[in-house]
Amino acid sequence: MIALALDGLRRAIFAISIVAIFVLFVGPIMILGVTSVRPASGAFYIWRGTNFTLNNFVEVLHQSQVLEAMWNSFVLSTLATILSLGITVGSGYMLSRFGGWIQRSWFATIYVFRTVPYISWVLPLYLVNTRLGIYDSYLGLLLPHIAVHVCFFSWLMKGFFDGVNPSMEYAALIDGCTRWGAFCRVALPAAMPGIAALAILCWLSTWNEFLFALILSGKRTPLITSTMAQFVTETGTEWNLMSATAVLAMLPALLVTIFGQKYVIRGLRM
Amino acid sequence: MIVRSTKLGLDEKERFMLFLIAPAAIVLACFEIIPILIGMNASFRDWSLVNPQRTWVGLKQYVAVFTDPVFLKIVLPNTFLLMTASVGLSLAFGLALASLLNRPFFGRAVVRTIILLPLTIAPVITATMIRWSFNDQFGVITNFLSYLGLADIGWLSDRWPSFALVIMTDIWIWTPWFTIILLAALQGLPPEPFEAARIDAATPWCIFRRITMPMLRPVIIVCVLIRAIDAFRTFDQVWILTGGGPARSTEVFSVYTYVLAFVDLDIGRGAAAAGVGAIIMLFVGGVLYKLVNRSVEVSR
Repeated sequence: MIALALDGLRRAIFAISIVAIFVLFVGPIMILGVTSVRPASGAFYIWRGTNFTLNNFVEVLHQSQVLEAMWNSFVLSTLATILSLGITVGSGYMLSRFGGWIQRSWFATIYVFRTVPYISWVLPLYLVNTRLGIYDSYLGLLLPHIAVHVCFFSWLMKGFFDGVNPSMEYAALIDGCTRWGAFCRVALPAAMPGIAALAILCWLSTWNEFLFALILSGKRTPLITSTMAQFVTETGTEWNLMSATAVLAMLPALLVTIFGQKYVIRGLRM
Repeated sequence: MIVRSTKLGLDEKERFMLFLIAPAAIVLACFEIIPILIGMNASFRDWSLVNPQRTWVGLKQYVAVFTDPVFLKIVLPNTFLLMTASVGLSLAFGLALASLLNRPFFGRAVVRTIILLPLTIAPVITATMIRWSFNDQFGVITNFLSYLGLADIGWLSDRWPSFALVIMTDIWIWTPWFTIILLAALQGLPPEPFEAARIDAATPWCIFRRITMPMLRPVIIVCVLIRAIDAFRTFDQVWILTGGGPARSTEVFSVYTYVLAFVDLDIGRGAAAAGVGAIIMLFVGGVLYKLVNRSVEVSR
């Protein structure tokens, strides 16, 4: 009897925790979502009244800056993903397969530069970009967004190659394959699932990135996060429009979470 | 096939190794290392946009940062408080959630999807919705709390409530990260020790403390290392939620540096603050690395 009651209690606690997870994690997103479909007058006290409208989205999309920012963020994220995976894959392979002083010093380098706070090198990067005349341009945003991924991605890529059995590559080398061939044709395809997962995470993190966008982009090349921030910190009153922008900016995240969940989880596991 | 390396030359294998890291190393050098050097140069100069003479002033800017009461009494404590509170609490919640989800139940896939949301949504958006939910007049949560009789909390107008909000937002974002990784680790544990413990009639708490925790230790340590380093540079949430306010009381290191360089337009002082942060982090990173390498082999 006591065992039964205890079991019931345990089940109740379990159910309550699951409900709590829903409320805590979905609640704030719901508040934002509801605000985005309320007319300007109903955006305050959103739990009162039943007027709903899609006009906020129409209005936001008619502001050329938001559309332009979304397009810029899209292009930037895509290019940054391709290039940063391209340049770190070799570095990760090297860290995983080889030893010796080169491997050790490269590992030390990427560890040291990973600990340096972003602001410490984005601030002078602003000076570099204005000097080179690439401030507020695609190039000036793209290169730092690649550089920021070098350290961490090399580390993650190392993990992917660690998970691939090297004996196939040794066999290929014995059969007369070059080192480059063993890397490209044997190791790379085997590490592909991990790299695909990392590509999705990289795309999202570039889309979501804010500090670089704030410092290195301006009126000419607005990005979605810095445009959002302007809404919040400068206007700060049109909550319905702001929520609509936020919901639009959230779309890629929602799509990836729903359809690419498997890859996200695989990527996070390292 | 293997050529011994001579004194000056590199053998074929070493050349291949350098070739593999070359693109990454070049990008790192041009867009991280060189800017850091330029920043160091700027930090020794009196360089503000109003007074652009860039006179060499030696360590004056560093002295100014280290004697700035805001930096010593607010920024540094806030930064390390955010770091420990966020990492500690999201680890604890992540561990609890991972243990909770580590069993089949109806709707588990949905819960796992929901848990991923905070990780994929931009921190800027998260901070925006938290700021809106805690709006002093119209916020849903503020109104709900005042309905419960907690009306007097100045969520975005007093220091500690504001800072608590920053920490809660950070925990909201990062708990799922710990959950996913620890859940994966839990599912990868061998079942035998748990079966043996159950046969010996160990309580669930005892199993958790004596078996699960020691087996998860390496994963936890690596997670904490990664997160602690990232938490030091938290910027997005703080900037959007409080902007460092009220009256600079919630500034953390990145916000402090940003404000110096881009709001006060004092590049020299900002670069000095950035340098101080980098040095602190190199030290903290080094200590953490030593601690971690003792228990887990990270580099190999």
